[in-house]
Amino acid sequence: MQRRFLSSLSSSAGNTKTLNQAKWSVKQVKKSNFHLTLDEIRTSIDSSEFIALSLQNTGSYAAAWHRVSSIDTPQTSYLKAKYAAERYQILQFSLCPFSLHDSKLIAHPYNFHLFPRDELKLGMPSYSFSCQASRLTSMAREGFDFNTCIYEGISYLSRAQESASKFLSGNPILADPITVSSSSSPATVADTVFVGRIRSRVKNWRQSCIESRSKTGDDDLVSCLRRLVLGSEQYGSRLCLTIDVCSERQVQLILEMMTEFSDDVVPLLVASKSKGTQAVRAVFMGSKKDKDLFKRELQDIENEENRRVRGFREVVDLISSSQKPVVSQNYLSDFTLIHAKFLGPLPSNVDDFNSSLSSAFPNIVDLSQLMKEISPLSNISNLPTAMSSLNRFFAPVDVEVANQGCPVKSNEVHQSHGQNAVMLSQLFAKLRTIQKSDLSTLQSNEDCQGLASDNENVKVWSKNNRRVSSENLVFIWGLMKKMTASKLKNVLQTSHPVFAQEFDVKYLDKSCAIVVFWESGLSETFINVVNNEEKLDGSLREMVAEGLRASGYETYKRACRLGFWEAELADSLDKSLESSDMDLDLDTEASEIDWSSEFAINFDEL
Amino acid sequence: MRRHKQWPLRPLAYSFCSSSAETVTNSTVAFPLKHVTKSNFETTLNDLRSLVKAADFVAIDLEMTGVTSAPWRDSLEFDRYDVRYLKVKDSAEKFAVVQFGVCPFRWDSHTQSFVSHPHNFFVFPRQELTFDPPAHEFLCQTTSIDFLAKYQFDFNTCIHEGISYLSRRQEEDASKRLEMLYGEEGIDSTVETEDLKLVRLSDVLFAERMKKMINEWRSGLLHSGNASSESPRISNGSTQSTETVFYHMRPALSLKGFTSHQLRVIKLVVGKHFGDLVYIHSNDKNSYSQDFVVYTDSEYDKENLMKEAKDERKRVGERKIQYAIGFRQVIDLLSSEKKLIVGHNCFLDIAHVYSKFLGPLPSTAEKFVASINNHFPYIVDTKILLNVNPVLHQRMKKSSTSLSSAFSLLCPQIEFSSRSSVSFPQQHVKIEVEVDNVRSSNWNAGGKHEAGYDAFMTGCIFAQACNHLGFDFKQHSQSDHLAQNEKLDKYINRLYLSWTRGDIINLRTGHSNADNWRVSKFKYGNIVLIWNFPRKLKAREIKECICKAFGSASVTSVYHVDDSAVFVMFKNSELVWDFLTLKQQLESSDGPVSVLHPLSKILEGGNTGAADYEAYKEICSSHISKIVFSDQAETVGVKSRTRPDPQGETERKEENTVVVTPTASDLIDTFLANRVEAKAG
Repeated sequence: MQRRFLSSLSSSAGNTKTLNQAKWSVKQVKKSNFHLTLDEIRTSIDSSEFIALSLQNTGSYAAAWHRVSSIDTPQTSYLKAKYAAERYQILQFSLCPFSLHDSKLIAHPYNFHLFPRDELKLGMPSYSFSCQASRLTSMAREGFDFNTCIYEGISYLSRAQESASKFLSGNPILADPITVSSSSSPATVADTVFVGRIRSRVKNWRQSCIESRSKTGDDDLVSCLRRLVLGSEQYGSRLCLTIDVCSERQVQLILEMMTEFSDDVVPLLVASKSKGTQAVRAVFMGSKKDKDLFKRELQDIENEENRRVRGFREVVDLISSSQKPVVSQNYLSDFTLIHAKFLGPLPSNVDDFNSSLSSAFPNIVDLSQLMKEISPLSNISNLPTAMSSLNRFFAPVDVEVANQGCPVKSNEVHQSHGQNAVMLSQLFAKLRTIQKSDLSTLQSNEDCQGLASDNENVKVWSKNNRRVSSENLVFIWGLMKKMTASKLKNVLQTSHPVFAQEFDVKYLDKSCAIVVFWESGLSETFINVVNNEEKLDGSLREMVAEGLRASGYETYKRACRLGFWEAELADSLDKSLESSDMDLDLDTEASEIDWSSEFAINFDEL
Repeated sequence: MRRHKQWPLRPLAYSFCSSSAETVTNSTVAFPLKHVTKSNFETTLNDLRSLVKAADFVAIDLEMTGVTSAPWRDSLEFDRYDVRYLKVKDSAEKFAVVQFGVCPFRWDSHTQSFVSHPHNFFVFPRQELTFDPPAHEFLCQTTSIDFLAKYQFDFNTCIHEGISYLSRRQEEDASKRLEMLYGEEGIDSTVETEDLKLVRLSDVLFAERMKKMINEWRSGLLHSGNASSESPRISNGSTQSTETVFYHMRPALSLKGFTSHQLRVIKLVVGKHFGDLVYIHSNDKNSYSQDFVVYTDSEYDKENLMKEAKDERKRVGERKIQYAIGFRQVIDLLSSEKKLIVGHNCFLDIAHVYSKFLGPLPSTAEKFVASINNHFPYIVDTKILLNVNPVLHQRMKKSSTSLSSAFSLLCPQIEFSSRSSVSFPQQHVKIEVEVDNVRSSNWNAGGKHEAGYDAFMTGCIFAQACNHLGFDFKQHSQSDHLAQNEKLDKYINRLYLSWTRGDIINLRTGHSNADNWRVSKFKYGNIVLIWNFPRKLKAREIKECICKAFGSASVTSVYHVDDSAVFVMFKNSELVWDFLTLKQQLESSDGPVSVLHPLSKILEGGNTGAADYEAYKEICSSHISKIVFSDQAETVGVKSRTRPDPQGETERKEENTVVVTPTASDLIDTFLANRVEAKAG
């Protein structure tokens, strides 16, 4: 079976069409078989050198200008990706741990169906999410099964959510030993009285516990009566005492006092519904051994609970702890999503994001970056095309799917989900063979540097790009409809002397265009002219009267930072200008960006 | 809102139904429901037209992808009617409708029963128009999706097969764009070619080859009179082919298998080198595009051809728009027939109908009321009917008025129709179901809670309620409009703006503003909104702090918006002003006084915001929805004006005071009486 896939692939590797049809059997993982599969996944990851992953989301960008484009600095790219990552949902997470042995690629592909079901009824992992109708439609066209996803998708909690939920799940938890040791503010009279009262209560209760232990001859009725009289309850098979508290301060006091009885009394915290401690539960231990046993039991319960709550994140943790290089198609969009859904809230700037991410995923290989280095003109967004563009290199890769016990169902469409991750691993293998470089160049964190906010380090992504400082860019909007870039350029050329020098015009969306001055200083002059009534004349004056507005790059940056994600860039820039007086701009330094015509949005597509 | 409240009840009803289903699986059939998707929409619509025309009333029900975009967007105790409207507006704008139940009911005098036709439309906002793409996006509330899943909602059918729609506004916009595209002059075509310059060597070579090929074809055409219909393949091994055909009675070369870039090059070549040839790009109705190079006899003929081609493109575009209107045709039908629309707690439903099928929701409730009446003159809400009418209220025996429980209480004969052994008293209205011309009065009540079934239940409740109100359908003639019946008059066009608060909105126009509302008389001017205080503070503690500063009687109540924000209701509005001023003073001075001040507990952390009630309205009107309220307040940016303008404050208060006039009061009195009664019981 696997052999057949293999041969059909290597023989027809040259043809895009056949490549598209080549299907590997990918293990589909849902709620029902998730826990059973976990061990297998762990083994797969452990035995592999690399891990390729690919996500299927409910959307990517809501408006044309929200898409990361060549005019973006690392920070604005990140903010755009962050905006998308926070709103859209991952419906499928396909994962392919793989190893390379010469030209042989051993793959273990899995495809996880995810759905953010609110298992704990706490509004987690996500209260709501956005869907792009067109995205869902195109997914449907590819045979996506939404019912499987929603009915049988695996839920999850992020690391941050898990720690928040621990307390809320209602199970009593062990008091954190650190809080016990930190003796806080000086005791007031009320505190002393409170502690004294509780101490005597605990003392009496403990005494009775010790007595009841010695008097094992009691029949059930007597022990029951005793419990009633003493107000003692049972926690599992152990005796316990619940002390209600009104504030965290009291919790602190009780815990401090309890250290006196630490030999045979273990304090537990009981959470109230509204995120606070409701009570402290003291549990009586029969012996030292019993105490250890009890603590272990609690730990087991907690682990089991965490495992249940964590859900799919278990897999993300496995990837993270394996420290193996992760191959992804689009570093920024994939990992902002992974960070937001499985680690925690996204930080507000790109440097914090990079450092936070690299602590969880130290080795990330951005395939689009790698692709650019080898085949600068290729577009990686279409994997089969990207693959065929490499055909001029001789780089045969045999794919062997090594998943154990793969259920091959008759439903072929269904089985085909998750092919992308295998293709990524294949593409990666090809690129590596071509590059023949040692591992170090791939594994270092250089891919992250492409995203560092350090302005000088922005890479030239493509050889035919001209780099331009963001200072030399001017956004203009409020233009007449039905204006094309070339027409606009003609109009501008005659409107003012600054346009005598070389400049370029591109539309970013249908509402706004960008003017690139290839000579520095001109952008400033132009903005000054537009904003100064006295200097205005001629056709430029007319254009301004008709609503033309112009602003520098910082307005755009501010719009991204303040989250003015309007459908049209013009509206966002207007809002950004309005808010500029009350908001101090922090990052006004110029950044270099890459100017390339291929990245600009084609007006015809809008 | 509604779906939220029904939650605990539905599973009960469902489990009951499913257990009854098990016992009688063989003897009865599943509830007959007409499922409508893309494929059978056109035919069903034609049938539905006559059914709606003949109907006495039409019941509707909607299933959406969610209800609240953030927890605090739910209906809260201190929501004034205008705030409540903003919340409903937000919900209708953000979430999608995935199922739309339409069920026309007609009194059949032969069988002395109502005949109902439950339709279950799967709806999905697919983008059908490529030239008008405001990227459509909608929100899904996780719990709502999970709820739909619990009742086996078929998401695949919805997304794969759902019927798309355009609102009236969207249709207008699309037509305008179409007009612009194919309007007066044909600038577009000339400009496009200008944009393209032949730089790459491959392009230059390709252009040269095409020039040669077209030239050959043209001269062949002119000299031999009949060019060979099959021209040789121009590229070995590729799919490119050309063929001589006729386009609008003119000889033409059809181009197939070229990439769009190559076609642009060809277009450029034709424009540059051949004065009598015209490049034509056309789309047929399946949006299958075709490209031709057409020969024209003269300049005049060329112009004609260009015009013909443009007209054709425009026609295709118009047809596409017509097709894209899709489900809205059902709404247009309901609207143009002016039938009585019956819903259950349906304000949100109506708001969805407005925003999806008419146009953007108006900014205020008043404007909404003024506008909705033009489209749906008669709406009746069965939840209002059951709660406000004393007879029905009593009949409900103080049980829940949720859809499923009202249905089983009022219409047991329908719910248990499968158990024919149980006999029901005569006062029950007989209802039959007719789907695809097959009538049945016996079915298995168990089944999925789909919009079509919910609409059917709503209609049954309404029919039964009318019966209890003493409505005699036997005497009632077809010509009488049910909506004009005086017995119903009190309840028509009154909807629950907020069921929990009992706020009612009156959709009838021609009344003064004040008359349009039945709203509780809170003193909203006495309210301060506080957010971003230390999270561990509870409402009680906040009240204590403020009471220490302003006296023990100063605060009436404190109410949580969510964990991060509270409403504080002061005794009077002067205290609001005092509080906000004091807060500002404390924040500006760092002295020991401010540290020891009782309010310092609330202000700890330095991020605490406070504002008057109008700020709350502003926060709710924002289209942003942060999950946590304090984040929302910060993002909307009300923080900068924590200090209200005392002048504006008093003016606003004047505006918002609602005078309840006698005309509306009878309704309200009955309502209030019932409420008191319900509370006592």
